[in-house]
Amino acid sequence: MKIRPKLSKLSPWLAWLIGLGVVIAAGVGAGLIVFWKGLWITHLTDLIPWGLWITIDLSSIAVSAGAFSLCAAVYLLGLKRFQPVARTATFIGLIGYSMALLTLLMDIGRPDRFWYAVVYWNKHSLLWEVTMCVTLYLTVLVLESLPIFAQFEWLKMRWPKLAEKMSHVHHYAPYLAVIGLGLSMLHQSSLGAVYGVLKARPFWYRPDISVLFIISAVAGGMALTVFASMLSARLTRRASVDDNLLDRVAYFIGWTLVLYLYFRFWDALSMTYTYQPGRTEGLQLLTQGPLSFNFWVGEILLGIVTPMILLLYRPTRTSQLWRMVALALVVGGVVAYRWDTNISGLMIVLSYLPGEPTVEYAHYVPSLIEILSGAGVVAFGLLAFSLGVRYLKVVNHSLTVEEHENRKVEAKKPAPA
Amino acid sequence: MSNPKVDRRDFLKITAIGVTALAGAQVIRRAEASEPTPSGGRQWAMVVDQSLCNGCGYCVMACRAHNDVSPEITWNPVLEAGQVGDKKIYLPRPCMQCSQAPCVDVCPVKASYYRPDGIVMIDYDRCIGCRYCEVACPYGARAFNWKAFTEQNPAVPEWGQPEVARRPRGVVEKCAFCYQRIDRGLALGMTPGVDPDATPACVVVCPVGARFFGDLNDPGSNVSKLLKARTSYRLRADMGTGPRVYYLSATEENA
Repeated sequence: MKIRPKLSKLSPWLAWLIGLGVVIAAGVGAGLIVFWKGLWITHLTDLIPWGLWITIDLSSIAVSAGAFSLCAAVYLLGLKRFQPVARTATFIGLIGYSMALLTLLMDIGRPDRFWYAVVYWNKHSLLWEVTMCVTLYLTVLVLESLPIFAQFEWLKMRWPKLAEKMSHVHHYAPYLAVIGLGLSMLHQSSLGAVYGVLKARPFWYRPDISVLFIISAVAGGMALTVFASMLSARLTRRASVDDNLLDRVAYFIGWTLVLYLYFRFWDALSMTYTYQPGRTEGLQLLTQGPLSFNFWVGEILLGIVTPMILLLYRPTRTSQLWRMVALALVVGGVVAYRWDTNISGLMIVLSYLPGEPTVEYAHYVPSLIEILSGAGVVAFGLLAFSLGVRYLKVVNHSLTVEEHENRKVEAKKPAPA
Repeated sequence: MSNPKVDRRDFLKITAIGVTALAGAQVIRRAEASEPTPSGGRQWAMVVDQSLCNGCGYCVMACRAHNDVSPEITWNPVLEAGQVGDKKIYLPRPCMQCSQAPCVDVCPVKASYYRPDGIVMIDYDRCIGCRYCEVACPYGARAFNWKAFTEQNPAVPEWGQPEVARRPRGVVEKCAFCYQRIDRGLALGMTPGVDPDATPACVVVCPVGARFFGDLNDPGSNVSKLLKARTSYRLRADMGTGPRVYYLSATEENA
């Protein structure tokens, strides 16, 4: 009898927070077990040393690509009206890269040495280059997000001068956009090249993985930004969107998918000719083997073709529901592509005995610990974005650059009095 | 923009500080001899005669003892490699000590490096455990320490005494041609490949004498003589990795 009125007070917002809190708690628990017990409790092996966590790394970095591409559009191409969308994308980028770092920290055998790549340089290593670019780009994202954090009401009340200074960083946005573009072009493609340069893995050993990685990242990153904006606007009054802007970005995503499909087509088709041990078997894993559902349905049909049509065909694109479905599918397709790329190359174990190399297959299914800790990281991302929408107005298309200026003047006024 | 001039100067300042910090990091990083295929000095190589190897696996055990390797890891497995006539043929597979090693190229922190004598080393104090080298190695020569090896080594003392420190949990490890025996032997004036105490443990323990070790740059060493006299092959030579482990095939005549 006493419980009932309390339950009725449980708003959807609170329920959402509690739900995320539970998943994060489980994830933190699983992460601590990993640190305590070591990586043997995962299902990773010497044959498949990279699994679910790497997929989360790659995916969260890929779907953060909206930040650099939209910032470049706003500050370099001069498409100023998209500034509020770029603002959302920047915040998502900051979350995405923190998610990647959190996951990576669990994945490496010596988390205490995570900073070694910054000090001990191996310029031959693509992983070194990726680490450096990600570290530097995270710094850029933090700087780019300072004006967003300056919107925090509590901060403005408590330390108005600090909030004003943080807001001031906005003036450097064009410079940050240049640096962000350069760093992102480098590491988004290099993440694909990490796989593409390995001669020992014939299925990976091809130059266009890097091209596919960056194109799919731009599509997925923008898609997540628009999807998250639309969803927030539907769920809370604290988010407001200019549907015209989102429609334009969605249209651009549609054309990006055309480009992505074009490259993916030639990538796959060129590999179907001439038998090469390891490479042909890798392609067969995707087209007819255990990954075929992932490939045909997840990557191609639902990940590229369907959303491409939905976003380029005006009636479906202007429909809120269809556009959101299409954008969610793009994100899912990018994640499926990252999973397939990583796992297909590792599943093929090429013999090194004399004679023509033969192929054996390795298997991997993530363990509960890997899934729980991975889910915890994802829940952390969702929580951070939800808090951003609520307290930092990250999805607010009525907030413009001029308003930043006005607020600054207001903050200054009481000082001499 | 309220005061763009100052903004730009501040921006340049921040950039300058960033560049200086990176340059500083570059200076404190350790310089290492890490060039592929050095020409001068000694170049260690191993030759395995497959017509003699009978697959007894003594080398596997000696390796575990002398390098204190966990029973869950094998640096030097002996694999079955087909048949010649009625006789089974084996292929022991240590690290190939490639002269163009993919693992050295991909390591993000230079934990894998070349010694001037060609041995590919891992700095276990440097390795961050990202496992990129495992993915890059064509020979599966690298193993990750998924758990800490704290138990007593079952290969000790029957197969020998540990000569190197145990690797901690979370780093990758592999065969390094028993560099500790080579270095100690050379310091005592011995010749690796001739004096047992200066020669890799797997070569010394082999009961049928199927393994040979020595300096490729010394025309008088037993490996140089063997490679000159007999036809040899290397694993996945097509990959261009330049392995320093050579195999002498078992044939109908010599098996």
